[in-house]
Amino acid sequence: MGKDRILPILALILLFIASSSSLYVYASQTTTDTLRINGQQYTIDQLFSLTKPRSFNDSQYNGIALDDLMLKTAVSNPEQHTYTLKASDGYEKTVTWENMRNGLLTKNRESIFSDLPKAFRVKEIVTIEVK
Amino acid sequence: MIDRKFIVGIIVFGSLWGFAECIIGSLLRDVNLPAGAIMTGVFAIGLMTLSRTTFRQPGMQTGIGLVAGGLRLFNPFGGCFICSAIAIMAEGLLFDLIWTGFSLDQKKTQTLTIQASLGITSAYLVYVGGYIVTQILTPVFSSAGFYIENLIVFIPQILASGLLAALLGIVTVPVVFALKKTHITMQDRLYYPVTISVSAFCWVFVIMNTILIVWL
Repeated sequence: MGKDRILPILALILLFIASSSSLYVYASQTTTDTLRINGQQYTIDQLFSLTKPRSFNDSQYNGIALDDLMLKTAVSNPEQHTYTLKASDGYEKTVTWENMRNGLLTKNRESIFSDLPKAFRVKEIVTIEVK
Repeated sequence: MIDRKFIVGIIVFGSLWGFAECIIGSLLRDVNLPAGAIMTGVFAIGLMTLSRTTFRQPGMQTGIGLVAGGLRLFNPFGGCFICSAIAIMAEGLLFDLIWTGFSLDQKKTQTLTIQASLGITSAYLVYVGGYIVTQILTPVFSSAGFYIENLIVFIPQILASGLLAALLGIVTVPVVFALKKTHITMQDRLYYPVTISVSAFCWVFVIMNTILIVWL
């Protein structure tokens, strides 16, 4: 089969993959008002009431300290773990304890790290998994 | 011998793409439009198709991607600029590989079906490929490191996000081929002054824009 014929077939296959992935993503989206941290469910207000605040860039970004959040949610030996922040759309990023010491969680459940690129800004976090 | 016209072509097309990413891409992000897919489906695919059909030389789009990605690094606003720069550079390389892989430089006539198929294939693979490359390389160059499971669980979202770029590619590539049929050419004596001026404008505008945002 010539490459002229392969190209339209490949294009149709790619459109099918993209469309079916879109349907899968739409069907599997989750919405929740709580965060699951180290196996326990919390509301964002609960977390803000028990954790110390942190801000970056002359208060451009405000929230609660992610390292303190882990300590307050009873994570033992925190420097020995990695932390996976999972969003409602499936996006997730794993960071180290050192990164958590430079990170904050905003009221909108977004992570911001002063020592990491913007790709580590996980929006609408639903789970923080301790590994 | 180095083909000066070819090198200047890389610089001008790369500068135009980088300018579009920095200025138009930022505007699209500000109004919450899917800037990545629009930039790839329209500007990246449009400029790379135009440059490839004009010069017909493998390797050119890799160079264009490097220039555009380099310019993106001068504009640290509007999304993750390191991720964007890496994605742009990867997109140039991927376009080069697709075009060379399908031997498209040897085709003298292109039907509308082939052009639309090429638009879908190149836009989708370039966008998805660039997205995956940046999801790997951005963590690698950060202190957090790369975890393969972070990428695997997000693959369905990446595959889905390429749909808009593919649909835009259906229009972009045939439009570029239609423009090529008008046989608009530039006189040789104007080639260097025009291309160098356009490139310089793109770089100065982006750098001045960055300086103004920092100061104001």
